[in-house]
Amino acid sequence: MVIALSVAAVLAVFLLYTSIAGGGNPSLAPSELGARTDEVQLAGVVVGPVLGDAHAGGLRFQLRDIRGDSRETVPVRYSGSVPDLFRAGRHVVVDGQLRHGTFVAVPGSMITKCPSKYAPKRSGDSA
Amino acid sequence: MPELGRAALVVTLGLSLYALVAGAAAAHLGRRRLARSAQNALVASFASTAVAAAVLLAALLRNDFSLEYVARTTSEALPTVYTISAFWGGQEGSLLLWLLVLTGFGAAAVSMNRAWARDLIVWAVPVFAAVATFFAFLLVAVASPFVTQPAPPDGAGMTPSLQNPYMLAHPPLLYLGYVGLTVPFAFAMGALISGRLDERWLIATRRWTLFAWAALGVGQLLGSHWAYVEVGWGGYYAWDPVENAALMPWLAATAFLHSVMIQEKRGMLKVWNMLLVILAFSLSLFGTFLTRSGVVNSIHSFTESSIGPWFLAFIGVVVAVSVGLVLWRLPALRSVTRLESPISREAAFLYNNLLLLALCLAILWGVVYPMLSEAVRGEAVVLGRSYYDFFLRVFGLPLLLLMGIGPLIAWRHASLRSLGTTFRWPTIVALGAGLALLLLGAGSSVPGLVAYTFSAFVATTIVMEFVRGTRARKALGASSWPSAFTSLIGRNRRRYGGYVVHAAIVLLAVGVAGSSAFDSVAEARLTQGRSMTIGDYTLTYRSLEERQVANATEIRATLDVRRGGRDLGTLQAGKNAYTIEQQVSNEVGIRSDRLTGEDLFVIAEQIDPDGSVYFRVFVKPLVNLIWVAGLVFLAGSLITLWPDRREQRRLIARAGEVGLPATPR
Repeated sequence: MVIALSVAAVLAVFLLYTSIAGGGNPSLAPSELGARTDEVQLAGVVVGPVLGDAHAGGLRFQLRDIRGDSRETVPVRYSGSVPDLFRAGRHVVVDGQLRHGTFVAVPGSMITKCPSKYAPKRSGDSA
Repeated sequence: MPELGRAALVVTLGLSLYALVAGAAAAHLGRRRLARSAQNALVASFASTAVAAAVLLAALLRNDFSLEYVARTTSEALPTVYTISAFWGGQEGSLLLWLLVLTGFGAAAVSMNRAWARDLIVWAVPVFAAVATFFAFLLVAVASPFVTQPAPPDGAGMTPSLQNPYMLAHPPLLYLGYVGLTVPFAFAMGALISGRLDERWLIATRRWTLFAWAALGVGQLLGSHWAYVEVGWGGYYAWDPVENAALMPWLAATAFLHSVMIQEKRGMLKVWNMLLVILAFSLSLFGTFLTRSGVVNSIHSFTESSIGPWFLAFIGVVVAVSVGLVLWRLPALRSVTRLESPISREAAFLYNNLLLLALCLAILWGVVYPMLSEAVRGEAVVLGRSYYDFFLRVFGLPLLLLMGIGPLIAWRHASLRSLGTTFRWPTIVALGAGLALLLLGAGSSVPGLVAYTFSAFVATTIVMEFVRGTRARKALGASSWPSAFTSLIGRNRRRYGGYVVHAAIVLLAVGVAGSSAFDSVAEARLTQGRSMTIGDYTLTYRSLEERQVANATEIRATLDVRRGGRDLGTLQAGKNAYTIEQQVSNEVGIRSDRLTGEDLFVIAEQIDPDGSVYFRVFVKPLVNLIWVAGLVFLAGSLITLWPDRREQRRLIARAGEVGLPATPR
């Protein structure tokens, strides 16, 4: 009985949370972005050249898919903290939304993945 | 040499397979000599795994790049200590370390309990062997560390952020924790299969569980400290899936350590304890799966690997078989007693368990949600920080409060009046502290204020318990106060060690609340000679130096720090550019205030060619309490872990009285 009640309480808290904070952001690859303009998480490989200043006007670069053969890229503008590992060829994840054809990232939202030194190199990784 | 390593692993696979089959047959048919032989095979599998590990270690130390693993994780220039840490730097080596610890723990746990719990051991051996067989199979067939290649001139080297003393201790501790949870699991399964469902499996594994749990706890705090001082983003925990991977089994093990006491004292929660052990072990496997499979977007992910599906299948089998066993033995797992009152120690422990489990499952839900939503909606939805923070508050804060209530409330049934007497002072102190903090301006964060108030409550109860116990010891004839205090702890290590751990959790709560709810941040681009302020600190950017060291170029900005009118000296922050790895890393400047536990944390985010620097500065109040909590946690764990022959004899004697066969097979 106690356990059943507690399970009910936990479910209630879950509902409370989802009603207050909503769901999370969908995580997409650049080729999946299409024309959608809601806030999403974009994960991709950085394609150079990397231009601009992250703390003045924003950093500009392109992202392409990590997996698959799609050549499609999405231009990204990002400002705020740039992780140590950021550079062309690295996998990064940014939150943000598409505005006038450019993916404008939430300032400071970028995370990079640990370099895959431990896994066999794949040809696609050396962009 | 690689042939020797490969051969040793094949021998391990054979031995563990033999221990599995022969052990199960012996247990089923009641053949004592065959069971003994299976136990010996388990011990021998430890020896052969150790040979394989020695071969890999030797290859790493000799920079034998003809081994693919060595070439991938090390380089000529890598210092020797990090060459050793490369053992667990890659997937294959990690698996080998896992197998080594597993067979070692298995052999030790079996040998230590052979004399008095033989009927449990005969079934625990095949369970250990089954897990060992899985890992040995992976190492032989799927992810061998002994794959050879034509030796390249130099290895690929190690990621700079991993070239760090923390990486010598953090991963092995987590592995000790993960693997240590196999011991209670194996004995629990042994108890289920053999039908010997008395408390002996708990007594046999209590220290192992404690050890695994302590190693997981310390390992995680080391990881947090590493993230804080080395990764340089101003935080220590990011709710990353890989971080959660270690937190979840820790939470499940914490719940188990508490509910075990209820089973020992009152014979309740037997099914619950079984389920918690299964959960903790499955989560430790799931943690390895998360770390190594790359199915989730994590800052730690080591790209996809071939072992993912195997792991998932193994976890599925483990859960299905163990839950099936519990269902099969359900009639024998009935509680001897029932919960008598919702206000009692049993009930408080039950609430604690439910909250810990709820927190654990909420985190698990957050971790798997992207995968589930991808499967269901075709779109991976990621739950962010706010999700985890929400549940940490909703479940964590009541948990904190219960930590003060649970240990003091009476067993079976507590009257409201007795509660009033017991908790009068803690409540007064907590309310007083809360009010004082409110006046000091802590009202800016309600969860922070609540955390502080609850912490004051728990801290008071802990102090009161120590004072009361010491007084009683003195009255019983201890010669002095210090000797009364030490004999108090020495005679009841489990209880008072537990209180010390609770004190560590209080420190942790205060540190986390202080540094996350009451921190401040400022950023500015400064040219030399200019200043910025944050709180009552003033930072003046003085100079920029560039140094060439062996493997990197170091750039450092020097800042003068003043607080109020007082000169606090200088602080350096900058970047290292690693030549071979072509990577840049932030090197943060941290000034800790020993008195208040506050940190001034400076990141040189961007260094421009003209010498101007974009600084990001945090003031994090009380953050150092988190690291102090780590030391206190370690001390408390050591107190409870310290061998206590008297207690062990007493427990064994009691288990003997209870009578052996609870149910016929």
